[in-house]
Amino acid sequence: MSRCRNRTQTGRGMKLSPGSLGSRVPGSWPEGDLRHPRHLRQLCTVTLAIVILVAGCGHRPAPEQGLKVVSLVPSVTEIVYAVGAEKMLAGNTNQCDFPGAAKSVYKVGDFMSPDLERIVALRPGLVFVTLPMHRQLLEKLNEMKIPVYVSRPAGIPAVLKEIDTVAQLLGRKASGESLVAAMRRRLDSIPAFADTPRVYVEISGTPLMTAGGGTFINELLAGAGGKNVFESSVQEYPVVDPEAVLKVDPEVILLLHPDMSARDVTSRVGWGGIDAVRHGRIYDKLDEDLLFRPGPRIVDGVVLLAKLLHPGH
Amino acid sequence: MMQRRLLPGWVGLILLFVLAAALSVAVGPGGFSGTNLSAVMNLRLLRLALGIIAGGVLAVVGASLQGLLRNPLADPFTMGVASGAALGASLTLVLGRTAGAFAPVGGFAGALVTMLVVYALARVRGRVTATGLVLAGVIMSFLFSSLVMLAMILGRRTLGEAVYMMMGHLGAVFTGTTVWLFGVVAVLSVAGCAWLFSMSRSLDIMSSGEEAAETLGVDTQRVTKTVFVISSVLVGTVVSFTGAISFVGLIVPHLVRMLFGPEHRRVLPGSFVAGAGILLFSDVLARNVVPGGLPLSIVTALVGVPFFIYLLRSRL
Amino acid sequence: MNAIELSDLAFGYSERLLFDGFSLDIAAGEFLGVIGPNGAGKSTLLKLVAGLLRPSRGSIRIRERDLDGLGRREIARTVGVVLQENPFAFDYSVSDVVMMGRNAYMGRFQSPGKHDREAVSSALEFVDALFLRDKRINSISAGERQRVVLARALAQEPGILMLDEATSHLDIAHQQLIARILLELNRQGKTVVFLSHDLNLAALYCSRVLLLDRGKVVACDVPERVITTELIRSVYGVEPIVTRHPESGRPQVMLPGERHQTPVSKP
Repeated sequence: MSRCRNRTQTGRGMKLSPGSLGSRVPGSWPEGDLRHPRHLRQLCTVTLAIVILVAGCGHRPAPEQGLKVVSLVPSVTEIVYAVGAEKMLAGNTNQCDFPGAAKSVYKVGDFMSPDLERIVALRPGLVFVTLPMHRQLLEKLNEMKIPVYVSRPAGIPAVLKEIDTVAQLLGRKASGESLVAAMRRRLDSIPAFADTPRVYVEISGTPLMTAGGGTFINELLAGAGGKNVFESSVQEYPVVDPEAVLKVDPEVILLLHPDMSARDVTSRVGWGGIDAVRHGRIYDKLDEDLLFRPGPRIVDGVVLLAKLLHPGH
Repeated sequence: MMQRRLLPGWVGLILLFVLAAALSVAVGPGGFSGTNLSAVMNLRLLRLALGIIAGGVLAVVGASLQGLLRNPLADPFTMGVASGAALGASLTLVLGRTAGAFAPVGGFAGALVTMLVVYALARVRGRVTATGLVLAGVIMSFLFSSLVMLAMILGRRTLGEAVYMMMGHLGAVFTGTTVWLFGVVAVLSVAGCAWLFSMSRSLDIMSSGEEAAETLGVDTQRVTKTVFVISSVLVGTVVSFTGAISFVGLIVPHLVRMLFGPEHRRVLPGSFVAGAGILLFSDVLARNVVPGGLPLSIVTALVGVPFFIYLLRSRL
Repeated sequence: MNAIELSDLAFGYSERLLFDGFSLDIAAGEFLGVIGPNGAGKSTLLKLVAGLLRPSRGSIRIRERDLDGLGRREIARTVGVVLQENPFAFDYSVSDVVMMGRNAYMGRFQSPGKHDREAVSSALEFVDALFLRDKRINSISAGERQRVVLARALAQEPGILMLDEATSHLDIAHQQLIARILLELNRQGKTVVFLSHDLNLAALYCSRVLLLDRGKVVACDVPERVITTELIRSVYGVEPIVTRHPESGRPQVMLPGERHQTPVSKP
């Protein structure tokens, strides 16, 4: 699943009383993601307000000859730069921050709730979106007959394919192919490892949230020679009971939320007996974009994981 | 007074509590597997303690506020404290310091600030009325909820986990520091509940109206202010650890009143026991019925409502 | 000794003063009726004497002691108040409600003692509501409720009893019952202050009547000298017919007659 991961940490003691979120959302069992339409709408409204306020600070890029693209997906933005097509980029989102040059491109809003008006005002020839985040936007763009490419790669092979496809769409077939080839070479250079350590991926500390089997990080782990202990979970980002973590006794713990440090984990009551804690194999402060963005740097992510999981190779 | 009816009620509540506590410790997704027996036991005992305090406090505060405000629909969150705690916690989020003790402390600070603001708003010429507190609390609730949303957006966080927090949970992960913190909270909670209990008669009398209570010799200002402050502090501390667990504070007092009548000297202690028992029981269900667990508030509602209906019908 | 002394009282709910320089003495053992139009200040006066409101100027003395210096509980032991509205948010039993009147005699952690229980029983008996003692307060009739609230005030064992519109919503049987209870209490030595819209009831039972208008004493005297055509006309603005009660000779007020249209017979 391709998406830009916004680091989240939860606040304790949140009650959003009626009137602010409409009502406490019943049955909106979280998937670790902002998917509930009501939330989107609320977020849209506030973001709209903020965007309008900030509108004066933005600038319109000079109209270019040829194809104008707007990227609402940070990973695809990276692809655009990686294949050398950045001149075509007329707009991207606030979360499109790599490479550095992407930050100064005209912003059409937040990844989670981009501003349709801004997008349309640019008169793009192609818009990159992802699902399910941009579902409603996609419908509107279709209505307006604006060409759209939906990015939703499910695994590493799909990412490679997407790079190819995007490169072709932007008339950069050759660059795309060589990039993909380079990435494949790097991937192939990762040796087959003798052991497959059990890995617990922590997305959030309160409540404890991990990544299930259908997630991208799961794929990366597999590619790096590790096993996600919660692979069998049906939910994408399930909440887990601390006891369940004790039970599976992971050998490696990856902290994928920036506020938590390894020391915080070791000081958790009852966690002292976990294999990973005993051997000090808790890794924090990881560059999460490498692990969550299904773009050109995905191989960097796999390599990073491989090094963590199999030190000494 | 109908003393004969009370004993079965007490026996029932205590049995419920003991059963729920036992289940809470015995049953869980971790399972006992030799090596981690003591670790899992530790987790379960902590969870048990949290459940007892949270359930007891929420129910007692709910009962006290219903009495003070003369409103059977009042619950522990009526005075806006939970939204303040949420704002405090989400600010720690935005500042990027949620690990360890920061989140509960942030939440508690938020609750305190809310309490002071609500109190100041409700004060007219040195006097505070129950209605004023409710109005100020509701207004602050809305304001802080919106600020929480804003903080989440500006801090670039998703709301997924926040939704989970709104539903409440007993799965707080404890570190060495937070265990101590919780110990302090537990002691304060029991003390606070005891203090509320000592005001039982005044609360009874105030249910006839503030003016009538004054003519009967009750210092209504002192009672109102004390109950307000204690409730805010208790709810703020609990919510910092567990999020907003709904339903317990609203319904449990009514259940207990159905068993024991409206006198606060019975309703308050009964609510503590019943609240703890029902919450623990709901938590056992929430954790074990569905892998990964259900949000606690959903289960408390599902458990509480049929029980309530049963009691209601057996009275009619 | 005066039961209640008000000197140079000033009070207003807003900038405008309702009472300005108000003075009044109520002797011990009086049965004082307080009448006057809406907004005259009857309820306000009661609340000032009960200590529910604070005057901005002046002094209130109860049994020759300054109200300011009396604690809330002491006031409760001296003055029993029956307010106009008596809502009960929760369904306490009647005996529980009356026991609340004993609050001023019980310490924080004290349970009701023998004397408290006796006070409750005799209060209920006095108002003829003993049979109601185990019933729930919200399940009895309005008249019965009023008696229970009165019993609660009596349980305070006060020397002074003040009632605000105690009979306004009751049938005439209950009106008489309550009035007779008050009369008996007065005979037993209690000072009774009876606020009412019912001029006739006040005239029939009270020893003195205080007529208030816009925070001022219009008259405070025996009923014959207060319930007069001129005073009623000038204060209420209606044209009354004042007669003498055929049995007791007390003044009674009637409204002037209305000319009624004879109903048109339908075809």
